[in-house]
Amino acid sequence: MNDDLTSCCGPGYASPAEAMKAPREKLLYTVALYIGTGIQKPDYLATIDADPDSPTYSQVISRLEMPGIGDELHHMGWNACSSCFDDANMERRYLIVPGVRSSNLHIIDCATDPKNPTLHKVINGDEIKAKTDLSAPHTIHCLGSDIIISMLGNAKGEAPGGFLHLNKDFEIVGRWENDLGGMKFNYDFWYQPRHNVMVSSEWAAPNTFMPGFDLEEVGHLKYGRELHFWDFKEKKVDKTFYLGEDGLVPLEVRFHHDPDSSHGFVGAALSSNIIHWYKKDDGEWFWEKIIDVENQPHPNWPIPIPGLISVILLSMDDRYLYFCNWLHGDIRQYDITDPSNPKFTGQVWMGGLLGKAPEVNGRKVTGGPQMIQLSLDGKRLYVTTSLFSTWDNQFYPEIRENGGCMVMVNCDPENGGMEIDKDFFVDFGKEPHGPARCHETRYPGGDCTSDIWI
Amino acid sequence: MDTDTVTITVANRGNEQFTVDRRRPLLNSLEEQGVSLPYGCKYGGCISCAGKLLSGEINQAAATALNNRQLNDGYILLCVARPLSDCTLDVGVDSHDKLYRNPFASPLRSDELKPDIATPSPINQETNS
Repeated sequence: MNDDLTSCCGPGYASPAEAMKAPREKLLYTVALYIGTGIQKPDYLATIDADPDSPTYSQVISRLEMPGIGDELHHMGWNACSSCFDDANMERRYLIVPGVRSSNLHIIDCATDPKNPTLHKVINGDEIKAKTDLSAPHTIHCLGSDIIISMLGNAKGEAPGGFLHLNKDFEIVGRWENDLGGMKFNYDFWYQPRHNVMVSSEWAAPNTFMPGFDLEEVGHLKYGRELHFWDFKEKKVDKTFYLGEDGLVPLEVRFHHDPDSSHGFVGAALSSNIIHWYKKDDGEWFWEKIIDVENQPHPNWPIPIPGLISVILLSMDDRYLYFCNWLHGDIRQYDITDPSNPKFTGQVWMGGLLGKAPEVNGRKVTGGPQMIQLSLDGKRLYVTTSLFSTWDNQFYPEIRENGGCMVMVNCDPENGGMEIDKDFFVDFGKEPHGPARCHETRYPGGDCTSDIWI
Repeated sequence: MDTDTVTITVANRGNEQFTVDRRRPLLNSLEEQGVSLPYGCKYGGCISCAGKLLSGEINQAAATALNNRQLNDGYILLCVARPLSDCTLDVGVDSHDKLYRNPFASPLRSDELKPDIATPSPINQETNS
């Protein structure tokens, strides 16, 4: 229960503007992986000290191992967010941490001792497959007191998958959706209830992406290129946009945090474009390409390298769009005050295949900028370098020896601009069991991709 | 002689030998006998458990994750592969020297794609990759 007597309410914040006034994050939860490394240890949740006044600042201070090996921890989500701000019975207490390969869902208690999270419950992947014919959990959002998770395949790893519905006690309710329409693949989703809409994107079938990336399979239509607009109340796909060559492999979906806004964005990873959508005055949804990252030639390779936009994120005030070109090695910041006309305001380089920044501040970076998480006040962007074990092994095989790392980028929300912080660096190559990789990050108090207002 | 069992030699673990049931996936049989192996999905849809078949025959009809280049290099998915004869294997990440490939540096020929979309391999084609 929320025992803060100055608040009558549940988790999160009354509005995005209130969220921006929250205290600075002092802890980070980041998934760390041994799958694909040869180290026969479970993936784990790393707790990182992000308090600059603490003697253990910029260090992993605890590690919660999953029960077994082979999960491939990837993305995660809270049991509750600002969508239940009005529900005093709810509390942001549990992180749901899925394994993409195992389909296990780990429910982790981060509230009893925030510096030492503990495993509360495991929903076994075999149970999920048996009850719902779904596998490969990805994105988690809470819907008031319920939880839905995008599942990328059926029990055999074939597309299109669907959406798993859990209740607040982490029991399987069943499949959330009523009608997938013509959806061919599944990946990320975000909802905006005041417009009765959810938007979902497409990666590929687990059997296609789990073994690694065969570029030629894109031409065989094994990867997604469509965006789905759902009737949220009816839980059915209402309209599908074919993005074509402009929208190959659309991944992270972000609506404005402002619950009244209809504007949203998706990063098309392989096309390396940012797609923007909104509802026009006539009530029809409209999409357009607003940013196009050019492929870069490599002196020894026959095929130019795409940026591979693996993640996008919006600041809490909806003013800045951030994204990573995992293969090029840069993180970009755009002012999207006018969403149709983004202004390029900042860029930093770390790792990547173009050789522009093998080291930052004297530290070796293996991999490229990948998952990012922005502080609620928009000033600190935490960046990790691993994408997915098999894809890491294709593009950055030296990550097996070096491990991944986390850096912090200082962002200027007033004037735009970014700079890699000189003091904060978490080297996952030095972990106790050997070099690990690091992926998505969450903060105990919510972050810029966790909370939705209803 | 028990025809339901075969002998598996794990070359890169000191040529240690194991007697296993032909009807069961190699991953299960070897793990039960103390061989620590990587794995992920356990249904042949990812390549976390891949090993390399150096000699012998296996059935991995349930495997969907390997492309023809990987198959031609001898890779098998231990989570679904069942031995049809005595076999010699390399296992674990140490056997993955040819498993991963940068697709922009080394594209697949159309006959090297996964079997469900690959074009048939030209007859008498010489290996030149």
